[in-house]
Amino acid sequence: MPRPEIKMITFSIDGREVQAPENTMLVDAAKYGDVEIPVFCYEPKLGQPVGACRMCLVEIEGIPKLQTACSTPVKDGMVVHTQTQRVHEAQEAVVEFLLLNHPLDCPVCDKGGECPLQDISFGWGGGRSRFVEPKRHFQKPLELSPLIAIDRERCILCYRCVRYSQEVSEDYQLVLQERGAASYVATFDGHPYVAPFSGNIVELCPVGALTSKPYRFRARPWDIEGAGTVCTMCPGQCNVTLTVRDDRVLRVLARDHEEVDDGWLCDRGRFAYQSFHVDERITSPLVRVDGELRPVPWDHALDVAADALKRAGGAVGALAGGGTTNEEGFLLQRIAREALGSPHLDSQRAPVDRRSLLAIGDPGLQATVPDIEYAHAVLVLDTEPVDEMAILDLRIRKGVRRRRVRLAVASARPSALDGNAALSVRFAPGGGPAFAAELVAAARGEAASDDARAVVDLLRGAGEDVVIVASERVGAALAALADALGLRDRDGAGLIVVPSSANGRGLREVGVLPDAGPGLAPVARPGLHAAEMARAGAEGELTAFWLHGVDPLRDLPYRERWEQALDRATDVIAHAAFLTEGIREHATVVFPVEAYAEKDGTLTHPDGRLQRVRPGIGLQGRNRYGWQVLADLGRRLGLELRVLTAGMALAEVAAAVPFYAGLTQDEIGGRGIRWQEREAASAYPRPEGLPDLAAPTVREGAGLRLGTFRSIWASPEVEHSPALRFLVPRQRVEMAPADADRLGLGDGQRVVVSANGSRVEATVTLRHAVPAGSVFLQDGLVRDAANTLTGSVVEIRPAVTSEVAG
Amino acid sequence: MEKLLFKDIDEPGLNTIDVYRRRGGYERLRKALAMPREAVLNELLASGLRGRGGAGFAMGKKVSFLPKGAMDVYLCCNADESEPGTFKDREIMQKNPHLLIEGIIIAAYAAGANKAFIYIRGEYVLQADILDAAIAEAYAAGFLGENILGSDHSLSLVVHRGAGAYICGEETALLDSLEGKRGNPRLKPPFPANQGLYQGPTLINNVETLSTVPFIIEMGGEEYAKLGVENSTGTKLVSISGHVKRPGNYEIELGMRSRDIIYGLAGGPPDGRKVKLWFPGGSSSPVLTGSDEDLDLPYDFDTMAKAGTMLGSGAIIVVDDSTSVVEVAYKTAYFYRHESCGKCTPCREGTNWTLKMLDRIRKGEATPMDLDIIASVCENIMGHCLCVLGDAMAMPVSSMVKKFRAEFEEEIERRRQEADLASAMPEPELPLIQGAVA
Ligand SMILES: Cc1cc2nc3c(=O)[nH]c(=O)nc-3n(C[C@H](O)[C@H](O)[C@H](O)COP(=O)(O)O)c2cc1C
Ligand code: SF4
Ligand code: SF4
Ligand code: SF4
Ligand code: FES
Repeated sequence: MPRPEIKMITFSIDGREVQAPENTMLVDAAKYGDVEIPVFCYEPKLGQPVGACRMCLVEIEGIPKLQTACSTPVKDGMVVHTQTQRVHEAQEAVVEFLLLNHPLDCPVCDKGGECPLQDISFGWGGGRSRFVEPKRHFQKPLELSPLIAIDRERCILCYRCVRYSQEVSEDYQLVLQERGAASYVATFDGHPYVAPFSGNIVELCPVGALTSKPYRFRARPWDIEGAGTVCTMCPGQCNVTLTVRDDRVLRVLARDHEEVDDGWLCDRGRFAYQSFHVDERITSPLVRVDGELRPVPWDHALDVAADALKRAGGAVGALAGGGTTNEEGFLLQRIAREALGSPHLDSQRAPVDRRSLLAIGDPGLQATVPDIEYAHAVLVLDTEPVDEMAILDLRIRKGVRRRRVRLAVASARPSALDGNAALSVRFAPGGGPAFAAELVAAARGEAASDDARAVVDLLRGAGEDVVIVASERVGAALAALADALGLRDRDGAGLIVVPSSANGRGLREVGVLPDAGPGLAPVARPGLHAAEMARAGAEGELTAFWLHGVDPLRDLPYRERWEQALDRATDVIAHAAFLTEGIREHATVVFPVEAYAEKDGTLTHPDGRLQRVRPGIGLQGRNRYGWQVLADLGRRLGLELRVLTAGMALAEVAAAVPFYAGLTQDEIGGRGIRWQEREAASAYPRPEGLPDLAAPTVREGAGLRLGTFRSIWASPEVEHSPALRFLVPRQRVEMAPADADRLGLGDGQRVVVSANGSRVEATVTLRHAVPAGSVFLQDGLVRDAANTLTGSVVEIRPAVTSEVAG
Repeated sequence: MEKLLFKDIDEPGLNTIDVYRRRGGYERLRKALAMPREAVLNELLASGLRGRGGAGFAMGKKVSFLPKGAMDVYLCCNADESEPGTFKDREIMQKNPHLLIEGIIIAAYAAGANKAFIYIRGEYVLQADILDAAIAEAYAAGFLGENILGSDHSLSLVVHRGAGAYICGEETALLDSLEGKRGNPRLKPPFPANQGLYQGPTLINNVETLSTVPFIIEMGGEEYAKLGVENSTGTKLVSISGHVKRPGNYEIELGMRSRDIIYGLAGGPPDGRKVKLWFPGGSSSPVLTGSDEDLDLPYDFDTMAKAGTMLGSGAIIVVDDSTSVVEVAYKTAYFYRHESCGKCTPCREGTNWTLKMLDRIRKGEATPMDLDIIASVCENIMGHCLCVLGDAMAMPVSSMVKKFRAEFEEEIERRRQEADLASAMPEPELPLIQGAVA
């Protein structure tokens, strides 16, 4: 959809002629003339203005009544006054009204010092109150949720939080109860407000009515500093400002970036900072001595690791994931390839070959995050945004709600976005690539299933600008589909490919792949991909593993094989923040990984935006920078590395990846830059055709087909953040009521799910939207994770009490 | 004067379609459907009919504002009738429901609407039941549904019962409530004519306004406009209540002398008492006094506006000299405080504050300075709210403080003395706000 054109007009404000874009609300237009109009309820991120607080009243010539500047679009020739007696009196009156029942307990209020109500009272209030009556009282503070406290006495009823819940996150939990002066914010049913994006209301609240429980009473605005960086907990890479006091992160706020996060954060990104400062963090190198991991001096750990890697040489399998930066990934692959002579590198959960990656990463097919909002249609294909790239969920909702984007969802598991979709279709678990191939056929006018045709018809019917948000695992068919839909080189259309880890795209582009080097260049001798490494390790072909930000037992499929591989390996060198099972049981050397708040490096967003992760706090404990650790290892292994700073590490990356050529930290800056928009983008390798699209057929069988997903809450950061711990998921099996009936199972029942003799325990969750024949289990759990199962067709039977006990 | 709306109003069985048709019912519909839509609209424009719900906006003009096009157009009949003192719509709906239905069908035809709703206040259980029965009859007789009387006009009509909020009579809050949301007013613009129910163009009119439509078709707009006075054409139902001998609904020709309504029709206050003040257009209108000057005012839209008040819904509430103005102000403020939706600051906080101050006067805890604060708070509410409910409290209360300042001051003094005497006796507290503690 073409973005609205911006026409500048001239209007007069307080006697000065000012140019502003036509139809912007007066509040914003006034800023072009350096005039500030006070607001409380106005927040454009929430959609249309509501005109509730009446703080922004101004005088417009030709209109008898004062008008709300937040809801009056500026027109050419308008004459506006914000400094007349009338306006002053009205503004003073509104401040007086708002303060009538406000407790003015600023000295003990978290918002004090950064509170719009304070600021506006000083700037526009009359400085007196004539109210002698008793104020309104509520019990306070109450737990709105385990994460948020609500103080209803401080609430000025601006509606922001309620509008957010209703119109942005669409969880519909917050409401106003009662009416008039008795109104108060509450949840619809009185249950706690628990939702993936709930924390945003704390930032939206213009007073101290909503406060973050983990932050309450931790600091005052004058003893904190803000540090801008990027959240590395998922591919969303939201821009954040860390609130730092005494070298500790006490809070994470959104650092509004319209092209990345639109100013929102998920609750994991907002609250998991707690995990930066817990005792369980590894903050010293560890080496296994007599079966036990023990803290050792850095040099010793580096020597042991270097020796181990050298010993294994070409038999090292290296994996990178989590928040691994471009610099770290690049150094890792250089060391593996050049110093160790091992081609076995991977950063993907499911293998997608180089030619496919080349095709789906092509700049001509690339969409940007804002494109989602302005597209005619969006297809969400084989991914669940809220779990895999959380912040996109809100962007898709925004597009549908505010710009009438037509949404189609094609997935195995019912999606949180189904309610917003014009069309939702389901395929069998694992059927993403096959369904994509069908979509290609449908788009080309070839024979295809009804579902595939319906999706293509919907996309085509909506208009030319289609954005496809899809999981990386769908692979090559995505490029074919984009081409068949005519999206190539279309502004505002194309692909957003969600990788399996936060910097999946960056790791790919700097060469952490078995069949591609930096810049997706072909390699002479392709190595094994992750799943093959597991097999090779189990069979003794690979003798050492080098894990950067990955714990295969937790993060990758084929847990059993990985257990065998890690068990059999002579050495396992891990860079990790927490001793998750695979690391705890199998690592021989562990290097501490910085929290992103300590990190220095760059990431590549799924839409190609390079972003800087910048240290907001000093290195904790005996931590060192990841790039530094790798450079030290590289040197010990005989590599010449001119890497003395993170900037120099980036220079190495930029020199090796042709389409990153010349990138510097300064150029990336605080807002990032999309490499596709730089000249060097022309150096992107030409696509080399696609592999055969004959997609893997979904295995038919008698049993139930197993699909897996990883919840946004299934991560070590969540487990180690006390405030978030209540969200740590337990295994449950989602199934259709019909299947449950057939098996005599009921909602909430404990069951054993088994395949090929492997088994996990779970609790039955009945979901009407799950198609019969499919069941879903979660990955990434500490216990009973789906990757424990060795087959994709499962049996489910009630757990026997003795089994539970045993 | 010949009655229109109240012609045959007390005839037994008028609420059934048979009696209604015997009295010429639905003939006006037949006539309208034989006319082009524009012609019907022209009659409405020519009639000069102004809305009877409170704002007095010209009905024909409102219809002509509806955008033409292919989208669904809605008609909502505002039967929320919650303004204290107003009970005229109730009588129409209860005794002559088919008149309203006929009016709705004709208005919908002129507006190009084919989905209509009657939003009726929840307390009107009997009237809603009667309407439901009448609508069923109208469907059965082919006056509602597809292709009414063989024309290309189709209309569905549904009665929706409110849940007891005055604010849902405000047209945009009514729409939100009808959509199943919390009944809060919306920001205007967009006006309902452009974006109303479910974002579609919507015509909203009061019960009485719509019930007048058949007569305009019957008589012709120009003929109708001859009734009443300039700018206030036609007849109007007036609900008179308070201190009068014969309270009730009366149909008058607009422009009638107010005294003739209060004293002539309603019999004036009980013997030996004098009119102290009267609300000319519901409890939200600034009060007039019992002075000859005020009582001699012609009862029409423009005269009332010139006198600093309004005709509003046409509900006259008479207060005689047996009642303290403080109590009247308190009751008025109490109502609006209770009914404020709470969405906007000045109304939510201002009504609450005003009530507390008036309550202090009653309890003998106020000083004359509080009167200045009341006046100032009302001033700060007026014109600053999202809808006019805030003004609906501020206008009458401030008019009482202004016109009866001396009485207020006397009462303050008297009640202070009483309170001093009775200080040992605890007064009952104001009812607690729900959800609050302490
Ligand atoms: C607070 C408030 C309450 C109202 N209540 C009613 C009502 O009960 N009935 C009514 O017809 N109009 C009521 N109105 C007026 C409506 O908003 C609207 O102007 C009217 O329904 C239009 O119909 P009319 O043009 O036929 O009068 C109210 C307005 C306000 C501000
Ligand atoms: S809690 Fe905060 S955001 Fe919500 S209505 Fe009250 S003041 Fe506004
Ligand atoms: S959506 Fe992803 S990047 Fe954004 S705050 Fe959440 S975890 Fe961090
Ligand atoms: S004036 Fe009163 S009723 Fe109207 S929107 Fe404001 S608070 Fe609600
Ligand atoms: S900011 Fe304009 S009404 Fe609240």
